[in-house]
Amino acid sequence: MRASINRPPTPDVDEEKRDEPTLQDIINIKLIESGEKENLKELLRERLIECGWRDELKAQCRALMRKRGRSNTTVDELVRNITPKGRAMVPDDIKAELLQRIQSFLMSVAL
Amino acid sequence: MGSGEVRYSSLAAGIFGDILDAVIVDVASEAHRAARLGFDRRLNTEEEEELRLSAQARAIVGESVANGDTSSKYTIDVFGQLHPAVASEIFECMNCGRPIVAGRFAPHLEKCMGKGRKARIRANANINLSQQRKVRSSPLPSYFPGGPTHTSVSSRTPPTQTSSLTPEDTQKSGLDPNDGTSEESHDDDDKVVIATSMCTSLCTLNLKYYRFPCD
Repeated sequence: MRASINRPPTPDVDEEKRDEPTLQDIINIKLIESGEKENLKELLRERLIECGWRDELKAQCRALMRKRGRSNTTVDELVRNITPKGRAMVPDDIKAELLQRIQSFLMSVAL
Repeated sequence: MGSGEVRYSSLAAGIFGDILDAVIVDVASEAHRAARLGFDRRLNTEEEEELRLSAQARAIVGESVANGDTSSKYTIDVFGQLHPAVASEIFECMNCGRPIVAGRFAPHLEKCMGKGRKARIRANANINLSQQRKVRSSPLPSYFPGGPTHTSVSSRTPPTQTSSLTPEDTQKSGLDPNDGTSEESHDDDDKVVIATSMCTSLCTLNLKYYRFPCD
């Protein structure tokens, strides 16, 4: 019983200090709720596998792990290292396709 | 409209970046896991050596194609191994238990399992026999040389005639089981029919390899 008196203040106090949810957040939530984010992710994954992007990136990971030793590399290191490469390697047409789909979703959400 | 589109495009780019990051993390974690658990065969060989190996394999295959060797009895695969056109390994057929050469397995299965004429006749005889067996209340004597009906009747009906009578006999025996009430009176007829179809089966098959479902 005592413990409940000493518990931290209820979230009401905290919430006022936080910013209003940004536009980005609202859209993100809408994306996830409607399931469109999953669809887009699957579409992107499929396209990237088809064009060989995934295999190239995996080869990069392997090269990195060979250099730094198999047991030494963490997932974080890998991610930090390959993210810029991965972003640059995406073919333009795939990028355009995805962007178009996202934009049509945004318009359908009627902002 | 213009400003709206611009806003959209930066938003869209941001969302795209999110999704792309997620996919990249997936790739990284999968590669990491494969390396850590020892799945990844390519971790050690890699790069120049792999290029060399694949170029080598392609060269071997290309050679044989260029020389017109594809018509020869042996085909070469990417590892440089030779394979004869017809497989020569011997194994047991799972249907009849005979040792079969792998290259001749397909035609053997056709005969063994039932596309061919003989197999169909055998199958029909089998069905009719099992139908009669179900209809009869008393169990039949064993099929192999033990049963008295078999030996007494076979002397009456010589093998040469039975082969021509087979279609009619099997039809008759097909009709009989439906008539359940008049079993007793048709007993003798049944015996004749059974014996004739048995003779047919035994004549058309190799006795050694025949198997009954009741075994």
